[in-house]
Amino acid sequence: MSSSTGAGPGLPGTGGPTKPQPRMIPVGGGKGGVGKTFVVANLGTALARMGYRVVTVDGDLEGANLHTCLGVSQPSASLADYVAHREEDLGKLALETATPNLRLIAATGGNLATPQPGHARRVQLLRELRKLPADFVLIDLGAGTHPAVMDYFMVGDDGVIVVSPEPTSVENAYSFLRAAFYRRLRLSMVSYDVRRVVTLAMDESNERGIRTPLDLLREVQALDKTEGKRFVEAMRAFRPRVLINGVRTAQDVQLGFSVRSICRKYFGFDAEYLGYVNFDDGVRRSVRSRRPLLELAPRCDASIYLARVANKLAATAPAASQGAATR
Amino acid sequence: MKPLSEQDHYEVLEVARDASGEGVERAYRLAHGTYTDDSLAGYSVLSNADAAAIRERIETAYRVISDAESRRAYDASLRAVDDTPEPPRPSPEEQVQAVLELEVPEAVVSGIEPFEEFEEEPGGAFDGARLRRSRMRRGLELDDVARVTKVSSTYLRFLEEERFEELPARVYVRGFITLYAGCVGLDAQSVAEDYMRRFDSQSISPGRRGAPS
Repeated sequence: MSSSTGAGPGLPGTGGPTKPQPRMIPVGGGKGGVGKTFVVANLGTALARMGYRVVTVDGDLEGANLHTCLGVSQPSASLADYVAHREEDLGKLALETATPNLRLIAATGGNLATPQPGHARRVQLLRELRKLPADFVLIDLGAGTHPAVMDYFMVGDDGVIVVSPEPTSVENAYSFLRAAFYRRLRLSMVSYDVRRVVTLAMDESNERGIRTPLDLLREVQALDKTEGKRFVEAMRAFRPRVLINGVRTAQDVQLGFSVRSICRKYFGFDAEYLGYVNFDDGVRRSVRSRRPLLELAPRCDASIYLARVANKLAATAPAASQGAATR
Repeated sequence: MKPLSEQDHYEVLEVARDASGEGVERAYRLAHGTYTDDSLAGYSVLSNADAAAIRERIETAYRVISDAESRRAYDASLRAVDDTPEPPRPSPEEQVQAVLELEVPEAVVSGIEPFEEFEEEPGGAFDGARLRRSRMRRGLELDDVARVTKVSSTYLRFLEEERFEELPARVYVRGFITLYAGCVGLDAQSVAEDYMRRFDSQSISPGRRGAPS
């Protein structure tokens, strides 16, 4: 029922007094090559440099490269060990990086035949991630809208989507948001009939002519008033955050506000404009030298933008780190 | 979340009810750019008809809100609606709507003064990159700055990129940088001081290339 918001606070009775949980920040965006991995590596670095305990997780089991961006050339363990049940303790998979406070769960060495864990294992994985002793867990998602990707994104209602100011990326970002949003709505619905209508609406060319979530809301309200309320709640709770990467002009900066406006006017949910990172040649240099930009050139333009975004993330964080510090 | 048809003019423009004239202008410009037929943000989700319908609402809202007198009259009519007692038996849909409306202001408030959301950097010297960051934050292209300052956008770009050897004599550079700073809302004097210090330290040996390409 209402436990549909995220994976819930863990199983009851798993650890005595409730430990403060890390902030989960999935980073997706649909399209490949928009800089998700770069963003995760550098936001992780920025937060770690601010003194937070950070675990970055490579969720891209089919195209792992977060380890490279963080300068861990040959990870000794990886998420693949968890997927294959070789290791049950995620904490043991979190490797140290060159940056203090920053650890990495890599995704190398996976099974080519079945890279992604099945649904049950994914749920378990997300639950385990919440138990990591950290202030922030940043998850680098693969491209596309595969159910596994969406499950990781759904670990919270405020995941980050990275968009580059190009038509292809913007298009995929909307498909991604659409997929995430409908998935969230369907998970929140209890009644079989209503779920079926939501599933129907997920087909963009559905015969009922349901085009937007606002259309769908009307249908749901007509079917079942209680579900209608739940639907509205789910719409309100869904609050993804948009990061524009590779900005060159002020118009590119504006794109984030435009996307936010369209989310509000067309889809009917609020998106937050988390920030933007400019296009900077230093970015390519950092990837080439396999070190986070924030370590390599903390004063360069893109680093300053990234640090700004990290500040914003930290500012909106619940006081988890304080709780952790007293522990 | 209200469908567009039920939103008031402020909600359509995504500004708070007490938004300043400048805030309304900015919101209008943003909305205008967002809902053109070929807008990067919109073309893949909005049909031309959708975009046209939204544009029409935006234009109407802007017409009313941007004029002080019609805005006053409109505000009065909104207040009158707000003061009207609830209809005796709201439909379930209206109830849902009422719940939504309770929390709408927060969302709307977050939408004002869009470019102010990214706070100004606390410190550090003003170099070319920082000037560019300030400009982007204000949503200005180089051409916008050129229009206001009457300094060619090529020189403005050289200022940002600190291509000192391509800039004219020192006295002009100082003039340009002062105009630039004023245009992007920075304190012209301290910017000019910082910037000229960099300029002087890097253009001592003539012919030296200090350009980052």
